[in-house]
Amino acid sequence: MIRIRNLVKKFNNHTVLDGIDLDIEPGEVVAFIGPSGTGKSTFLRSLNLLEKPDSGTIQFDDDTYDLSHISKKETLRLRRSTAMVFQQFNLFKNRTAVENVEEGLRVVKKIPKNEARQRALSELRNVGLEEYQNHYPQHLSGGQQQRVAIARALSMKPQLLLLDEPTSALDPERVKEVQDTISLAAQEGNTMLLVSHEMGFVRKIASKVLFLDGGKIIEQGSPEAIFANPKTPRLQSFLADIESYDPKPVVLSPQA
Amino acid sequence: MPDLFDIKLVFTQIPELLKYLPVTLELTVAAGVIGLLLGVLIAIVRVKDIPVLKQIVVVYVSMLRGTPIIVQLYISYFGIPILLKYINYWNGTNFDVNGVPPVVFAILALGLNQSAFMSEIIRSSIQAVDEGQVEAAESLGMTANQVRLRVLLPQAGVIALPGLMNSLIGLIKGTSLAFVCAVVEMTAAGQIMAGASYRYFEMYCSLAIIYWIITAVLEWLARLLEKKLSIPQEAPELQLAVERTVTND
Repeated sequence: MIRIRNLVKKFNNHTVLDGIDLDIEPGEVVAFIGPSGTGKSTFLRSLNLLEKPDSGTIQFDDDTYDLSHISKKETLRLRRSTAMVFQQFNLFKNRTAVENVEEGLRVVKKIPKNEARQRALSELRNVGLEEYQNHYPQHLSGGQQQRVAIARALSMKPQLLLLDEPTSALDPERVKEVQDTISLAAQEGNTMLLVSHEMGFVRKIASKVLFLDGGKIIEQGSPEAIFANPKTPRLQSFLADIESYDPKPVVLSPQA
Repeated sequence: MPDLFDIKLVFTQIPELLKYLPVTLELTVAAGVIGLLLGVLIAIVRVKDIPVLKQIVVVYVSMLRGTPIIVQLYISYFGIPILLKYINYWNGTNFDVNGVPPVVFAILALGLNQSAFMSEIIRSSIQAVDEGQVEAAESLGMTANQVRLRVLLPQAGVIALPGLMNSLIGLIKGTSLAFVCAVVEMTAAGQIMAGASYRYFEMYCSLAIIYWIITAVLEWLARLLEKKLSIPQEAPELQLAVERTVTND
């Protein structure tokens, strides 16, 4: 059980997160949706202290961290309980795919070279990229890079996997392969927090959906409840805005 | 046709000049190492925005970049003995002012001068590393030192390399001014030799050839190093998982 309590984050005087509470059961996939700039990414980034919150706690079983008063040592311990997948992949550019996955195992977990290599290769196999082990990020497509990034995150065996808009920076034809990889990780029982604008994917993968607006959780519930039966006007108008967008190409008729 | 230009001499006197090449290289290597180490420290102070120290190094860099190297060599040559004399006077110590070899003044001036230029190259290179690379390392749980040693410095180093090489090439030629500190390196030796033969033009031609060759060798080494450090353009072959196919059959 992961408990997050009263997470507050301000940038200067602007309150981005206004006291977020959240419980996550093991194996659960919690998805955040909401308009841009409402603090979804900031929320994820606060949980591993890439942003420093103004207040809030996170509790993993018996381990409680006070996010606003945390020592360097505790920060490292918290970061080792979580792992993050970034919108821009952020693979180490000067390392091959397998070296990227290996890096945390060797440097952070101090696993011997050979064993780390074997584990990294098996993580790459799970995301279907073992053959690309010696490719540098610049040799890989965006989708492949993101799958390596997911392998790198999963290799750390995190208690909580943070996915920050993992498909937003991808070409449309690459979105599905990454979504499939994430679905697989979910089926394997990984506990996840996902920020996404892909509502179809959220509906499919999430066990719980939270609608965030203005730094507050406005509505939460099962995907069915949120998408089929939104209660608050703000969620209704948010979903209406998304659905009114017709992805079909516009056919221009010649002017008479 | 009068004997105005003795082209043979340009080449025959090169071996004589090369006897002083070690002095030139000594100045270059020593000042280069001082410049690089001090440059890294200054860059870190500026990147980390350490108060007080930062203001000091900003003025330091501005001063050393804003004054001619020849003036700095003179200041070092005349200033350090004066400083030593004051130290002796204040503390009752007895440093031998005349015992300091002249090459020390030159190395100090050239090294500090280099540190100012190199620090700016290193600083901009550190700042050019994508923030996402650092965040990825941090999110894995790396310590600040691990992030620095495994991510920041290797990537910044590759970015800094061409600029640092440029600075080093400037330094090699800067050593030719060390004669003002009474150091007889290649250019000074050449001037002394030409003073005896009056073949100044031939002498400077010889010097030009030597400096050019040294620089060309350095450029070649730099290219090798850059090639070794850069990520290959071509993607490697796919690693087909042979063993697995066999066991699955």
